[in-house]
Amino acid sequence: MKTIEEINERIKKGEAVVVRADEMPEIYEENPRRAAKEVDIVTTGTFGAMCSSGAILNFGHSDPPIKMQRVWLNNVEAYHGIAAVDAYLGATQLSEDRGIEYGGAHVIEDLVKGREINLRSIAHRTDCYPKERIETTITLEDMNQAYLLNPRNCYQKYNAAANSTEDMIRTYMGSLLPNIGNVNFSGTGEISPLNNDPEYKTIGIGTRIFLCGAQGYVIGEGTQHSPKTGQGNLSVRGNLKDMQPEFMAGATIPGYGVSLFVGIGIPIPVLDEEIAKSTAVRNRDLTVSILDYGIPRRTRNVLGEVSYEELFSGKININGKKVKTGSQSSIKVSRRIMETLGQWIEDREFFLSRPVENLPLDSEVRPMRVKEETRFVADIMTKKAVTAKQRDSLKRVSELMVENRIDQMPVVDSDDRLIGIVTTWDITRALARGEKKLPEIMTRKVIISRRDEPIDAVTRKLDKNNISSTPVVDENNRVIGIITMADIIHRGVSR
Amino acid sequence: MTSKYQLRYPAGVVESPVISRTVIETGVMLNILRANVDYGEAMLIVDILGDRKDQKRVVDYLKGEGVEVNKLEKNIRNNPERCVDCGACIALCPTDAISFSDDHSIKLNGDKCIRCGMCVDACPLRAMEIVRV
Repeated sequence: MKTIEEINERIKKGEAVVVRADEMPEIYEENPRRAAKEVDIVTTGTFGAMCSSGAILNFGHSDPPIKMQRVWLNNVEAYHGIAAVDAYLGATQLSEDRGIEYGGAHVIEDLVKGREINLRSIAHRTDCYPKERIETTITLEDMNQAYLLNPRNCYQKYNAAANSTEDMIRTYMGSLLPNIGNVNFSGTGEISPLNNDPEYKTIGIGTRIFLCGAQGYVIGEGTQHSPKTGQGNLSVRGNLKDMQPEFMAGATIPGYGVSLFVGIGIPIPVLDEEIAKSTAVRNRDLTVSILDYGIPRRTRNVLGEVSYEELFSGKININGKKVKTGSQSSIKVSRRIMETLGQWIEDREFFLSRPVENLPLDSEVRPMRVKEETRFVADIMTKKAVTAKQRDSLKRVSELMVENRIDQMPVVDSDDRLIGIVTTWDITRALARGEKKLPEIMTRKVIISRRDEPIDAVTRKLDKNNISSTPVVDENNRVIGIITMADIIHRGVSR
Repeated sequence: MTSKYQLRYPAGVVESPVISRTVIETGVMLNILRANVDYGEAMLIVDILGDRKDQKRVVDYLKGEGVEVNKLEKNIRNNPERCVDCGACIALCPTDAISFSDDHSIKLNGDKCIRCGMCVDACPLRAMEIVRV
């Protein structure tokens, strides 16, 4: 048994024994007792995209002063509903002119790199703050305070993602290829901080940590902290002015949005044999679920369970098929974080702190209460879809379209199974080119919907593919209806 | 032995069966890895399946047909100023041209690259680029 004070004494004398989390399993397995006695600190690290991040900034007062109402930094809006020149710049806020290629996270990166930032603000005049607008450039150095304040970072573990649909999708877990073409995962497994102290015995409010190259603090459990499902996380704070660009980066998750790569390292004091054991965790002992992101619902289908060891191997097995894995976190930078933290301790620049309060162990995430009822395809689809048979003549198809005042029709085989779709445009083109047969002119790759899909998911699908309707099919690919943008608008479903 | 080449067809050449003729005339197999064919021009990435001599024969023949031929070697580059070695590009590469080295750095194998641009698109740090030929 050791205490944090004893370990700090040893740091002061330059005697503390520090090892990296990936070195600990071997040390522990060789002799658990000796590992607990001799190792003082295990360094852990993670470096990955953490969306729930942002910065509190204070710009100082102009003369005459301004009570900022809205403020933009390099055209990225920051939240200003606090005091006159305080703002919170969220990492995922998009730029007003560059979309997802630049956002709050990139502004934070530019600030840390010492770059000049354009600041633009508008305000309402008051007796004490008569200025109405301001435009200037500022740097990190010019600010009174600038600190990173991240509501949810450093997940203990996070599910892996795949996509069972026939189209590539873009998610916060990266680009997911069709037909489970890849599996993306995040987190650093056995070196990830909370995996080394899963019961938060040493990590709590006030724990001093490595945060993006600065000394920062854990300020509480993160939002959606869910220790019961092994998905605890942390809220952290640190001084932006002390941070180093190599340990943070603004990122564009393609087709999705902006995020901030955050580097976190936490020293785990080895106070007893129990803690020594938890720091000896290995990638093969840590498993996550692979979820199907092809279904845009809160609860997603589980495609399988997999260990970090398998994920890091580059290929895993799903239903007998070899699938490549892609990491969203950097092991290389995480390792540098562990080493830097170890160096700080060795150089007597970093001392451990005892948490003033522990993190909750019993909370779990609850869903949002939504008063508006979720509506599904089955609620509003047109049940009697007019369909064409593949042997129908183009004249017959045209007549059906005119009679029913529709501009597209699913094409089915003799069992009503969907084989294509034909539109008025296809018919016009066929006339121009002299094509005569339906199978020659119809589109074979049809975007479909299913009865149990929420309307919002269908709206997204129509938008994304620039189409106005999709056939609704059952599990045997039989057409059971059609859902159109008009159905969605007219039947009073909000977009 | 194989090597990758980029072929550019100017207007006029697109309409003729150049690839088939090249294979018949030289007796060397070509594997088409990518093809963008448009009205005015076409761009192909091909593997020439043969030794250096065979490759030269194919290249000379294609040039004689009016096709612009460039050997592809480096193909992709990751900007060390931006790359954080996360690996978001690895699983999306259709030809396994990107992998991790032993120290978890991104390792590029330009020979395998077909310049599809999936990695450029997927990179959160915007660190990947296709090297110009």
